[in-house]
Amino acid sequence: MKRVWISGWVVLLALGLACSGVLAPSQVSAQQEVTIGVIYPLTGGAASAGRELQYGAELAAEIANNVMAELAMDMAKNAGIKSLNGAKIKLVFKDHEGNPTLGADLAKKLILDDKVVGILGCYHSSVTKAVSAVCEQYKVPMINDSSTSPILTQQGYKWFWRTTPHDGTFTKDLFEFLKGLSEGKAKGVKAVPKQELMNLAAACEKTEWGSAASGLIEKYAKEYGYDLKRNLLYAAKSADLSSEVRSLLAVKPDGMLFASYTSDAILMLKTLKAEKAKPKLIWGQDAGFETPEFRTTLGEDIVGVLTRTVFSPKLGQVKKISGQVNELYKKKTGYDLSDASARGFTGVQTWVHVLEKAGSTKPEAIQAAANEIHIPGEQLVVPWKGIKFSTSGEEIGQNLLGSGIIGQYQKNQAGEVVLEIVYPFELATANLIYPFKGF
Amino acid sequence: MALDVLVASLVAGLLIGMVLALVALGLTIIFGVMDIVNFAHGEFLMVGMYTGLLVAQGARMEPLLTLPLAAMVGFVLGWLCYFLFVKFLLRGPMVAQLLGTFGLMLFLRNLALLFFGSEDRAIHHGLLVGKSISLGMGVSVPATKLAAAFLAVSAFAAVWLLINRTKVGKALQATALNAQGARYMGIPTDRMNGLAWGIGGATVTIAGALLVNFWAVNPYVGLLFTMLAFTIVALGGFGSVPGAFLAGLVVGLITEIPGIWDSLSLALDWRWMMDVPMTSFKYTWVYLAYFIIMLARPKGLFGWKR
Repeated sequence: MKRVWISGWVVLLALGLACSGVLAPSQVSAQQEVTIGVIYPLTGGAASAGRELQYGAELAAEIANNVMAELAMDMAKNAGIKSLNGAKIKLVFKDHEGNPTLGADLAKKLILDDKVVGILGCYHSSVTKAVSAVCEQYKVPMINDSSTSPILTQQGYKWFWRTTPHDGTFTKDLFEFLKGLSEGKAKGVKAVPKQELMNLAAACEKTEWGSAASGLIEKYAKEYGYDLKRNLLYAAKSADLSSEVRSLLAVKPDGMLFASYTSDAILMLKTLKAEKAKPKLIWGQDAGFETPEFRTTLGEDIVGVLTRTVFSPKLGQVKKISGQVNELYKKKTGYDLSDASARGFTGVQTWVHVLEKAGSTKPEAIQAAANEIHIPGEQLVVPWKGIKFSTSGEEIGQNLLGSGIIGQYQKNQAGEVVLEIVYPFELATANLIYPFKGF
Repeated sequence: MALDVLVASLVAGLLIGMVLALVALGLTIIFGVMDIVNFAHGEFLMVGMYTGLLVAQGARMEPLLTLPLAAMVGFVLGWLCYFLFVKFLLRGPMVAQLLGTFGLMLFLRNLALLFFGSEDRAIHHGLLVGKSISLGMGVSVPATKLAAAFLAVSAFAAVWLLINRTKVGKALQATALNAQGARYMGIPTDRMNGLAWGIGGATVTIAGALLVNFWAVNPYVGLLFTMLAFTIVALGGFGSVPGAFLAGLVVGLITEIPGIWDSLSLALDWRWMMDVPMTSFKYTWVYLAYFIIMLARPKGLFGWKR
């Protein structure tokens, strides 16, 4: 009798374990899902950008998991990953709060506890750096969609790929824009003598991303022959930026350049307004200068402000897929796709293509697929030539086909503040407002 | 060009110094009366900032009109903290008092994290927000800072009058000088202690409601202000009210050292000076001042109590 009881308990225990998935042979076949860990700043100073990234990533997963025949992109043709028997993409979001240590802990948790097949994130370059080191250690693939410090792809990592162009490209774009401005190439503006825009001042937040951006501004200012009179670093979590702004204004700059996250970008503009700053040009290195919170909080005060970006809703006029996805996104969130949401979207899209090509969730198969992948530009919502990662040279894992644009906030006929494209000059959607009208 | 930068920096330092003096006032009163260092002082300020922010945004009212409410919240918070918590700590050794207020700091901070998240929040509306007043020489002062400085000095003066010109104030001073003697004279010292915490809480929450007009708030903002308040109290003398005011101005000016450095670098036209990233460590000088004072005179430079 005792043996019967023991046998009964063993059978029950085995059934229980089978149901809980412990004895399941693999995550894909048991659950028909591929889990990707996504680490973004969902609270803290960059929370609004983090939420944008999340919404963009969620929309891409939604498209990948369903058939949406009207969209001209491969991932919309199948419900799930076809080469993985239609396994659905499941995103597990984690909040790093802008903290690299927390980001690294979350990455370990996702890898060891949640058994994710890979990681996506992390927006803050400093967090991406910490997370990519964890992924490298555990040999887990990581796709970076939104961090732009050039150093990230100069580490020689074998498990790290970056879809977005980095700040080297973006900063060069800025100086090309300034050069074009003095050559009379800007739409609607006569040639501005270089001397009129000679004195520049820059303020960048002092984490990994801002410090790298600051170095690039200095490098290109020298290369293009501009006088960078002040190039200061500040803490993004500063609750007050008055002394920084006064320090910038002290050198009477013609152009002011920033690399800021959301809360400090808003604070910076508010302080500039309170100090009655009137430079001829204000340029932001994306990030905080592109979030919906930046626009809604500052309203018309940002008319004339420039920001580098990788997406503008205006792209829909020249690129059908951008317009279609933008409409879906707008229906979902009430906002247009932004730089952040477009990059979150593209990050998940890249994951889908990589998994489709790999046909397996084994890290080595994913690694090989990522190194071989080529997504054509016409499939992307962003205005890049495509996605193809470098596998050799100084920048391993960097997308070779990315490019940037410079947008300017302008007021449209309906009185809304929108981001018009002003660079590349041939893609300009509106006349450039120059000089900046002041506050 | 250098002179306008110097004047702008000095004016900014003095204006913020007046608000910082009010921030430190509560800390010095509490220490003066009970010899307790309140590590949660910055978190009281954070409560004031959130009160000002939420009321101004929720009721769409002028942020400066939230001051009376912030004062009430601060007074009740201080009073409750004393009678529900600090009173019992006083029975223990000094280390228990230190760790107790440290625990209070962590509790308030985490409570704010729970309710408000870690996001920075700021006021974007109000009669004075974004406006400036020109002082000539190309120097302009944000109107919110000017108003905050004026109101901070008014609040400071009101507390000074309360302590020095009223019976309650005299009782408070008597409790501070000799609690046992004051008890023998019929002064309810327990209530005086509660009052000290109430006044301390009210002054710092008023300062918080003033600061939120031009300063973003998050649950961690208190740490910076606790350090600034400690420096002011150490500089002005533990327990000294006029000392706190003067020290507030001095610390305000110390935070403007980057601006003063700028004016010097422009006057001398030395590029190497311009390249020194002074703004990156603008509060380092305050911490350095605190460190030096603590080494030289651990009880502060001038004290109310002898």
